[in-house]
Amino acid sequence: MPSLKLPILGSSGEGSPQPRTQWRSLDERERGLAPSGEFPPGASEIGGTSRREFVQLLGASMAFAGAAGCLKLPAEQILPYTRQPEEIVPGRPLHYATASTLGGRATGLLATAFEGRPTKIEGNPEHPSSLGATGLFEQASILQLYDPNRAAVLQEKNRPRSWREFLAAQHARANALRTKDGGAGLRFLLEPGSSPLIGELRARIQKLFPNARFRSYTAVSDDEAMRGARLAFGAALETRFDLSKARVIACLEADPLHPWPGSIPAMRGWADKREPGPEMNRLYAVECALSVTGMNADHRLRIRPSRLLPVALALAAKLGSAGGALAAFGRLGAKARLEPGQQRFVDALASDLRRAGRQGVVMVGPRSPALVHALAHAINSSLGSEAVSHQKPVLHDTETGADGLAELAAEIRSGAVDTLVVTAANPLHTAPYELNLATALDAVPNSIYRGLYQDETAQRCAWFIPATHPLEEWGDARAHDGTVTFLQPLVQPLFNGVSEAQVLAAFLGEGDKSPYAQLREYWRATRADAATAWEKWISDGFIRGTASPAESPQVRADAVAAAAQSARFETASPALELNVVPDYRLYDGRFANNVWLQETPDPVTKLTWDNAALMSPATARELGVKTHDAVDLGLRGPPVHAAVLVVPGHADGAVTVSLGYGRRGSEQNAAGVGFDVAPLRRASAPWGGRGLTVTRLGRRHSLAITQEHWSMEGRDPALDMDLSEYQGPGRERIEEGRVPVATMHTPWDYSKVAYKWGMAIDLARCTGCSACMVACQSENNVPVVGKGNVEKSREMHWLRLDRYFSGSEEDPRATAQPMLCVHCETAPCEYVCPVNATVHSDEGLNEMVYNRCIGTRYCSNNCPYKVRRFNFFNYTYNQEDVEKLRNNPDVTVRSRGVMEKCTYCVQRIERARIDSRVQERPIAEKEVQTACQQACPAHAIVFGNLHDPAQEVTKRHGDERHYFVLNDVGTRPRTAYLARVRNPNPELT
Amino acid sequence: MSALFKPWTNTAFRLALFGLAVLFGGGLIAGPMLYVRSPLYTQQQDPIDQPVQFDHRHHVGDEGIDCRYCHTSVEKSSFASVPATSVCLNCHSQVWNKSPKLAPVRESFFSDRPIVWNKVNKLPHFVYFNHSIHVKQGVGCVTCHGRIDQMAQVEKWAPLTMGWCLDCHRNPERFLRPREEVISMTFTPGGEKEQLALGERLKAEYHVATRTSCTTCHR
Repeated sequence: MPSLKLPILGSSGEGSPQPRTQWRSLDERERGLAPSGEFPPGASEIGGTSRREFVQLLGASMAFAGAAGCLKLPAEQILPYTRQPEEIVPGRPLHYATASTLGGRATGLLATAFEGRPTKIEGNPEHPSSLGATGLFEQASILQLYDPNRAAVLQEKNRPRSWREFLAAQHARANALRTKDGGAGLRFLLEPGSSPLIGELRARIQKLFPNARFRSYTAVSDDEAMRGARLAFGAALETRFDLSKARVIACLEADPLHPWPGSIPAMRGWADKREPGPEMNRLYAVECALSVTGMNADHRLRIRPSRLLPVALALAAKLGSAGGALAAFGRLGAKARLEPGQQRFVDALASDLRRAGRQGVVMVGPRSPALVHALAHAINSSLGSEAVSHQKPVLHDTETGADGLAELAAEIRSGAVDTLVVTAANPLHTAPYELNLATALDAVPNSIYRGLYQDETAQRCAWFIPATHPLEEWGDARAHDGTVTFLQPLVQPLFNGVSEAQVLAAFLGEGDKSPYAQLREYWRATRADAATAWEKWISDGFIRGTASPAESPQVRADAVAAAAQSARFETASPALELNVVPDYRLYDGRFANNVWLQETPDPVTKLTWDNAALMSPATARELGVKTHDAVDLGLRGPPVHAAVLVVPGHADGAVTVSLGYGRRGSEQNAAGVGFDVAPLRRASAPWGGRGLTVTRLGRRHSLAITQEHWSMEGRDPALDMDLSEYQGPGRERIEEGRVPVATMHTPWDYSKVAYKWGMAIDLARCTGCSACMVACQSENNVPVVGKGNVEKSREMHWLRLDRYFSGSEEDPRATAQPMLCVHCETAPCEYVCPVNATVHSDEGLNEMVYNRCIGTRYCSNNCPYKVRRFNFFNYTYNQEDVEKLRNNPDVTVRSRGVMEKCTYCVQRIERARIDSRVQERPIAEKEVQTACQQACPAHAIVFGNLHDPAQEVTKRHGDERHYFVLNDVGTRPRTAYLARVRNPNPELT
Repeated sequence: MSALFKPWTNTAFRLALFGLAVLFGGGLIAGPMLYVRSPLYTQQQDPIDQPVQFDHRHHVGDEGIDCRYCHTSVEKSSFASVPATSVCLNCHSQVWNKSPKLAPVRESFFSDRPIVWNKVNKLPHFVYFNHSIHVKQGVGCVTCHGRIDQMAQVEKWAPLTMGWCLDCHRNPERFLRPREEVISMTFTPGGEKEQLALGERLKAEYHVATRTSCTTCHR
């Protein structure tokens, strides 16, 4: 019998070579594991009532209310259709291809609808931007559809108006403008878009109003990338990456491993080459704050934002030192003046890239200066990188950043603007502070804003038009690769929304045309095959073969070198730098009212319901601040009240803050959450600056961080090792994680059932992006508990993403691990339940029966994985009617006092089982996908029947890297994890 | 003075106390358990008023209309589904189209507002029952819904308690019938012995594998 060996944190763990102790926070690293209870203090208390008092009250109310509630069955009604819609069968969901857009680019989706109400969003497997997966923004957008805070009334100066009144008023005004001076006073500030229909509407408006002007604005713009392309190629071109063709990937502040718009194919490509072996790729990250990509990097260099350009230049110089296309940069290396450690990193990266040749690639994030983009283009072209291709921009405007907004503000101040139409997402919130857009908007005589909420911008505009949600409108857009994609509505607008195309068409004086007619007519006029192919396009969700053709531009290395030569580098100075990033959960703030995203912990910091001033431990020590300290951040403008969060892996001498918080609109859930970073931003430097001041306020701002919740008591649950270790002694560690542990229980017999369900999670593929968490929340009606409850460790996520650090606090190795019920064969929870509310099924599921549960929480106490969640309150009792529409009808909405946990999406299994039995065939492999599996952009999670050796899940259960978390406890989980193997460069280790 | 109460009265008193406790405690526990299983609570044989006096005796019994003409999704979905108003008017636009009894149906159709029927067979919201699989595996309509063709007003025929469900899930052969007889109101293989023989044969033939795992019905 194998000995019971628990790897205790801090111990040398004799026998296991190279012990890598993991820690989850700096606090834990310093003081070791606190002997903690399962829940933090106070988790079981409500307000001032102690648990004992509560139980007394509960007993009394049970005796009275409980008995009274059972006297009679409640009366229920059935409301059938008056005329049966042809395609709807009550109780059977329908799936429609549609899309959502973010950053102007479309992601193809499949939306599930029950009797006409959409309940779930999945990726469209055939769409190039989705590949069947979705990011957390797409998953969470379904909640926004039913958000009761959405604006529902068209208004003029806070008085309700009808759409017809709006049309009449604008028609008269626009006519006057046109006859006066060709519409010189007409301005449009649009959300960056790629919609061919909007493109045509714009052209027609421009024809009618030759002096009108269109601009696009978004806080997360590609302006610098476009400038870099102009510098390198002489033309604005977009770069497309196919990481499945790359062996060495260098990310300079690029974050391709988080599902930003258009990132999913990159994530899939990267993950597909993480299998240990000669084909395995190697990822380098150069960045300021630890990003999702940085967590997954094989090597990471933390630098202040201003040092990115020198690093990029040094890289080009090193690659050019041997001559070739980059020879012009060779002599610029000295200019970069890197520190020795940085130079060593760059040298190793350069030689690795050179070795990889056509399989090497350099990626640059949208926030980095144009010159860095140009340098990357030069490097990629000299490598002849196969992973890179270029295309004409899919967006209508190549300038979508703050510069255009500054021009617009100046025009307004000069009195040139009479009518301003704004469809950009809440520009007032994200606009740099010094533009003072609020007063500028006040000065526009006729300002019109279309938005989902009565947000900051709406409050300053004369007219407000409620917007449609993507699931409520007909429309089109292009995918990241240019593929024409269609948005198909699943419901009539729930809040009287109006689409962007309808607002634009109002200026054409063509009356009120339905959005469908607009779209249909445009495509009928544009493509000859529209008459026959229309239905197929809509049902596919996109038009095949419409991806943008690849361009083959020539890099003007001399021009880039000249620019680099004349570039002024910031000299090393002690001034504190600011680093602004889009938020992993709220993007630019447009998702601020989305409670799913607010409560999803940040993939890196595990912070919920807040943003924070992130800084390294060294910087924090220097400033004399610690986590939860309230501080004032100042940079030219008025100070910003922020809370400090000290994080490992952050560059010293810099502070990172994220966009999207400190909202002042009418969104109730967003109110009072986090701080607004606008006063720190300049139009000329929206992503940072030097000379940041941090002033201690002497107050405490409590941050709800989940990273230390649900302690695993010091074990090493996430195996993460280098390739060399994996090929040597590391194997033993993995094998230790899967040797059968003796048990006194008779094993279950599954030989008589057709299905033996199991899951496998490949940690080498998982980036930690957290899309699965939101997918699970959406599929399983998982409630949101709010900041106060998160602080008490009462969050309800069935699937959580653990993030472990190991190594030094400066350069930690970060490992993400999705943790959900592993469905043990000998489940500790099952033995202790006094009422048999959690039992084993014949196919090996660990079942949770809500109607039996009396809430003793013994099961949760006894669960070594800490994946059981208890409903401390009735979190759904105050759901408004419109919110109830979103609930998945296949899953019970739980009430107060019951335990719940991952079910392996048993509702999907049972649906597939019944369908397959009715059709007299077995359940096929991909027929049952769990929600997390389906959403995962990296294919980290697979689920299936372990009886079938051909299935992916069975193969992974036989993989050399597979192990079971806490195997030594003897729980015999059904979920296998595949150890993470990293591929470091021998030159750097 | 002799004791007012003889010593044996102590025993009697204790016995009485004990008896009361048993009665009271048992009543508190067993009483409600019996109550929720009784027709008083389950509303069995309790005809429920409907907005339209729809008579299954006539439609099923006299006219012999197939159940699936109205309950269209019984073979496809979890719900058998109550027919849309338009289904009623398939016939009643021609026959009895002036009948005052059908006024609510016509009104529903022309005003496009649904007829609000009162639910007869109710299940708690944590129970997921699926019609399609039961019909497919040879469970007759009459097995659970009773002689609908003899009901003037539809009433709940079976208790729909979990124990009742499990009766069949544990021994399906007692209830199975050939697929082509599923909608028959009168099918009988003969006596109990014949039913068991038929049930066993059909169970093998249809690959009936009834499940009693909790998540079969509770999700």
